[in-house]
Amino acid sequence: MKGSIYKVLGLLLVAYSLIYGLLTKVPELPIIEESIRNLFYHVSMWFAMVAMMAASFWNAIRFLGTEDLARDRRSISLAEMGMFFSFMGLFTGMVWAKYTWGAWWTNDPKLNGTAITILIYLAYFVLRNSMDDARKKARISAVYNIFAFVMMIVFIGILPRMTDSLHPGNGGNPGFNSYDLDNGLRMVFYPAVLGWIFVGTWIASLRYRLKALQE
Amino acid sequence: MQTIIRLLVRFIRQEVRNSNVLFSLGIYLLGVSYLIYLLSGSTPSDSVWNTLLWVIVFFGSVQLSSRSFEFESGPYFYYFQTIANAKHTIIAKMLFNVAYMMFLSTATWALFSVFFGNPVYNTALFFIGLILGATGFSVVLTLTSGIAHRTRGNTTLGAILAIPLLFPVIQLTSAINLQAIVGVTLTDAANLLGTLVTLDMGIGLLAYLLFPYLWQD
Repeated sequence: MKGSIYKVLGLLLVAYSLIYGLLTKVPELPIIEESIRNLFYHVSMWFAMVAMMAASFWNAIRFLGTEDLARDRRSISLAEMGMFFSFMGLFTGMVWAKYTWGAWWTNDPKLNGTAITILIYLAYFVLRNSMDDARKKARISAVYNIFAFVMMIVFIGILPRMTDSLHPGNGGNPGFNSYDLDNGLRMVFYPAVLGWIFVGTWIASLRYRLKALQE
Repeated sequence: MQTIIRLLVRFIRQEVRNSNVLFSLGIYLLGVSYLIYLLSGSTPSDSVWNTLLWVIVFFGSVQLSSRSFEFESGPYFYYFQTIANAKHTIIAKMLFNVAYMMFLSTATWALFSVFFGNPVYNTALFFIGLILGATGFSVVLTLTSGIAHRTRGNTTLGAILAIPLLFPVIQLTSAINLQAIVGVTLTDAANLLGTLVTLDMGIGLLAYLLFPYLWQD
């Protein structure tokens, strides 16, 4: 019972953000217009992805310290979940970009960061599949996971800040910080992030238990 | 320190004995540069020049690094463990690869100057960019090549692992080099240089800390 609180809370928060996100009043901005609601669905995916990848990274570090294979199973389950969120974030972003910028894909630092992140973690999955011995696989992929996570943070967290971006809130484009006076957007956005992180953790824990049973 | 120098000398000797690697790399550089010369037929613009240079250096280093642990991870793996520990091995290997990739990128630069002219205005900045870029390449590629060789017999895996990780390094390096081409001064490029130096040191430290976990059975 105690363990299911965050699951229920996660589902409620996701349901709240999905429904209330369509109903709430949003600031009227040029070009973005009603598509500003994508903040709730698109941006929360990235926050959830970074949280999943960070948890995976943490478990990889713990594995190298403890040599406990359960840590490795957690690490891969969380990385898989993070990958799912990154694909969802990519698709919601592409649909939005088509209607706001007029193209599915642009040469934008954030989009490049996404492409790199997906490539890095796909390489991580390929690496895992290329080895049989469980302990060796766990150790080598933990090394790659740690290195890859740091590179990903550099690429999506540091480099985009050094160049302009088309994204709202960058390079002189209006973001939700400057216009949103009554914090109405945040009231949906932060619950959405939290809800998706909870639901993601839940699904990852199911996958983790499934892997534990298979081995 | 002495062990590192001894290892370095050993790597260099190994490379000289296997000189076909060096020759094949030289032929790759010459062939690709000439191919571009044939196909383009005219002098490329500065940004195209810079892009082509980095694409060639990029694939050259990936190819080079795929052989990085060929000797040490084969049948000699256990022997190698007895003569040097993991920390010495990774430092020596990274230093060796820095030198190798410096050579590779400078040679490409020289070849490009022959075929397409040399548009670089601020040579010092360009050269510093090459050194920092080679360092970053060497760190990433040494670690990923170590990973690939520990998985046994999958040579393409090294490239798959390394390519996405190299993007931040190559993006910063090419930005610095583009600034050197248009003639930005050293002080104006200090921000980019500082970022690249920090990145190099950070990933170097990370590779140094992680490698011992890799280099055991």
